[in-house]
Amino acid sequence: MSADLGQILGYVEKLQELDTTGIEPTAHALPHRTPLRSDEPEAPLDPELAVSNAPQRAGTAFVVPKVIGEEGAG
Amino acid sequence: MSLPALTLALQAAQLSSRELSSCDLLDAVLGAHAGRGDEANAVVGLRAEAARAEAVEADERLTRGEPLSRIDGIPVLIKDNMVQRGEETTCASRILEGFVSPYDSAAVTCLREAGAVIVGRSNMDEFAMGSSTENSIHGPSRNPWDLERSPGGSSGGAAASVASGLVAGALGSDTGGSIRQPAAFCGVVGMKPTYGRVSRWGLVAFASSLDQIGPLARTAEDAAILLGILAGHDPRDSTSLAEPVPDYCSALDGDVRGLRIGIPKEFFEAEGADPVVLEVVREAIAELERAGAKTLAVTLPHTPYAIAAYYLIATAEASSNLARYDGARYGHRSKKARTLSEMYTLSRSEGFGTEVKRRILLGTYVLSAGYYDAYYRKAQQVRTLLRSDFEKAFEVCDVIATPTSPEVAFRIGEKSDDPLKMYLSDIYTVSANLAGIPGISIPAGFAHELPVGLQVLGRSLDEATLLRAADTFQRRTDHHAQTPRGWLR
Amino acid sequence: MIEETLERWEPVIGLEVHTHLATKSKLFSPAPVEYGDAPNHRVHVIDLGLPGVLPVLNERVVELAIRLGIAVHAEVNLRSVFARKNYFYPDLPKGYQISQYEDPVVSNGWLDIELPGDDGQLETRRIGITRAHLEEDAGKSIHDDAVTKGRGTHVDLNRSGVPLLEIVSEPDLRSASEAGAYLRALRSILRTIGVSEADMEKGQFRCDANVSLRAIGTEPFGTRTELKNLNSFRYVEAAIEAEIERQGEILDEGGSIVQATMAFDPDTQTTRVLRTKENADDYRYFPDPDLIPLLIPADEVERVRREMPELPDAKLARFVGDFGLGQADARQFTESQELAEYFDRVVARTGAERAKEVAKWILRDLLQALKQLDLSLEASALTPDKLAALLELVEKGRLTPRNARDLFALLVEHGGDPESLMVERGLEAVSDEGALEVAVQEAIDANPKAAESYRAGDQKSLNFLMGQVMKKTQGKADAGTTRKLLAAKLGG
Repeated sequence: MSADLGQILGYVEKLQELDTTGIEPTAHALPHRTPLRSDEPEAPLDPELAVSNAPQRAGTAFVVPKVIGEEGAG
Repeated sequence: MSLPALTLALQAAQLSSRELSSCDLLDAVLGAHAGRGDEANAVVGLRAEAARAEAVEADERLTRGEPLSRIDGIPVLIKDNMVQRGEETTCASRILEGFVSPYDSAAVTCLREAGAVIVGRSNMDEFAMGSSTENSIHGPSRNPWDLERSPGGSSGGAAASVASGLVAGALGSDTGGSIRQPAAFCGVVGMKPTYGRVSRWGLVAFASSLDQIGPLARTAEDAAILLGILAGHDPRDSTSLAEPVPDYCSALDGDVRGLRIGIPKEFFEAEGADPVVLEVVREAIAELERAGAKTLAVTLPHTPYAIAAYYLIATAEASSNLARYDGARYGHRSKKARTLSEMYTLSRSEGFGTEVKRRILLGTYVLSAGYYDAYYRKAQQVRTLLRSDFEKAFEVCDVIATPTSPEVAFRIGEKSDDPLKMYLSDIYTVSANLAGIPGISIPAGFAHELPVGLQVLGRSLDEATLLRAADTFQRRTDHHAQTPRGWLR
Repeated sequence: MIEETLERWEPVIGLEVHTHLATKSKLFSPAPVEYGDAPNHRVHVIDLGLPGVLPVLNERVVELAIRLGIAVHAEVNLRSVFARKNYFYPDLPKGYQISQYEDPVVSNGWLDIELPGDDGQLETRRIGITRAHLEEDAGKSIHDDAVTKGRGTHVDLNRSGVPLLEIVSEPDLRSASEAGAYLRALRSILRTIGVSEADMEKGQFRCDANVSLRAIGTEPFGTRTELKNLNSFRYVEAAIEAEIERQGEILDEGGSIVQATMAFDPDTQTTRVLRTKENADDYRYFPDPDLIPLLIPADEVERVRREMPELPDAKLARFVGDFGLGQADARQFTESQELAEYFDRVVARTGAERAKEVAKWILRDLLQALKQLDLSLEASALTPDKLAALLELVEKGRLTPRNARDLFALLVEHGGDPESLMVERGLEAVSDEGALEVAVQEAIDANPKAAESYRAGDQKSLNFLMGQVMKKTQGKADAGTTRKLLAAKLGG
């Protein structure tokens, strides 16, 4: 895996040949008005359906292995 | 029952005249699939019963003379990365095995509202990452022209299913060429629309700024019909374009007189391109000239950098898009996981194939602090340069013609040990995704008895011109009417 | 003790507030925003991070972000970009949070706080606001064994996707009480302009504090620690003080502060390290390719500016300047939007000249009556019109102030028309001299000592006698007339 990654990274170094000073990065091919959604709530998903693919559940809650000691990563 | 006519247009005519029923068409598909056992391994999830019910309803509408659309009652396949309510969608990955979506993708809704009968899902490279349909938990798909060869990828199953005559139309997705290249390898028509022309709602994301859904079919007319069903604004997709959708079929007037075709030298000089393939493509372009089009040389100088830019952007976006597959709420969770950390690492390690892991690692690296500017941001700048290459070219021409692929279909297993080699085969297709412009691949002839594709690229939202050029070509040639050894009918 | 610490060290504090925006649906999904439902009862497929879902921006949040930007004198950036913040956590369904990074919607603002200075006078300090940006909230991980029965962690995504505005202050705060003042001022603004209910109990206003110390008189900042999720004002100030002390002790011993995330224990009133942050987390921010940059037309900002509700400091200035209220009284009104509105409506009828009187009635009598009756302002039957009518009766001399207060209590609880009630209860003031004469004479006759005192020059006795007249007339005697009669009869 790392040999492949190394080879690929070696290849992409090619881009450093190009002088891109002053060139704007393209995030999108499209310039347009910001699409907006009106603030009207829609009926939520049936809770049973929401957890229907869960590998483990308790009622309508997802269950994951215990998080020890952490109170949030971000 | 024999069903020689295998285009959407002809099937539609037969349904309309009641020569055939929707159930007849469905029976033919199921029979063909069962009979030869899907040698090409194109289909991964047949939904026979549900399709039957839909065919029955379609027949009722057709009998009353009230079809929902031109393709009402016609069997089609979607790709295994387009969600459908109540059906399994796996993206050919272990990590989504057993996942049943509670909602429909826009593509499925469009097909359903048109009355099309979704027979099942087509095989693909895992999460659309690949150019050979070898990276699939369902096993590789095979090229109906030579079952030892790849049908291309990642929409290899879709291309093979159309090439083998199983269905007349199938949907694919194209991020770096995944509709066009398999279309070329399998001798069918494949189109990637302008970015934003078709909604991505419900398309499992690979690279958000590059992905598009498009049709695979035998003819340009069929592609036009399907595109007309799929295209249009979707308020659920913030990248969806609001421009109105023209009647693509009415653009097919067979007239390309005065059409200016740009020939980019960079595409015909590429190292490693098969000279026989290039010759077939040149001859195909000459055919268009004989029909009245004009060719001129253009240059797309940043072409040599397209693959590098593509793989940096696509893998970066993919690494983020695939972070949700963590075994927490759906999909595969490792049975060995005892801690949260193990749930993440083991589920993903067990669930993802090698190519997907490779791209996630690459993408994560590309976005990481210290490398973002040199890799991701740089690639996005190169993207701007590529777009302006096309803008300049389109000042002097209307379309650009190139080979779709530098080679014909390779043997299964031939490239799977060399990822970089596999990436380089996308050389002709990635630029269109980076620039957001539409592109079509049409059967142009044969090299080494295998199909060769002619790719035509156009201005944003000018799918009509591409379809017109393709249709004109097909009125004058019969490459698209050839059938492979793996023909199912 | 903290006083000792503060002799050598200067605290440098910055605050990050996450506030829930007052919208009906979520930031990028149409699921409803409500509180207190069973797990996963308020989710849309988008909030679950299912394969194939896409975000679409709620238009209401744009308006609210612009309002906040204007209210804190900041720049509203006409182009801002949504970025993905990538990390793994069970309550983060996509494996990334959609936030804003390099290009936030609001930047470079400030707000003023007031605190008593050393001399007891109120001093104003300006606190910079670096930026405010939009982001989606995460869901909830429930570790409580009572719920999970010791097996695993439960994940509820109801809150996932709720719109947040993260407001980051400059590290301009220098004490726990300044931090408290800043938070109160910010909260007041958010509520006044309708951007957020900012109810801390519902988790709509959460605060993280960054605290460091530097030697007094020096410039460079010390290493800072982060106190997270302080969800009441009391806790914020206590936690900051505890952390200042902790850091001070370490620094005094010649040690150094380790960058860390801290938790505050209210029982012991101390802070402890939750986890160290030797390496900053790499969130691999990049612009979200599923979203277009947020482009705000300049005239949209102008429209919002024109339609802004009056801000607390403008209101303060108006109440002090136009109505002559004292600072303390004016401040009470700026802290309650509804009280201020009530006041404005009464004054609209009585006129600005009587504003001070109106203020007294509201702040003293009305609030007290509401408290006694355990009523909210809304539930009280004494509408601004009725209070104005009551005051008019007093102004016209038809009701004495004392009887007005009695009537007032009745009106608050039961409502009714002040004038009719006054007549019904026979409380109408008496100013007719003939009618009052008897009472005045009786008062003088019953209190010869007081009468003597007054004749000798003691003004206070007059008041005493007036009080007697009031008693005899059940408070109906008109003060002016009574005084006049008394003076005449006493020959003064």
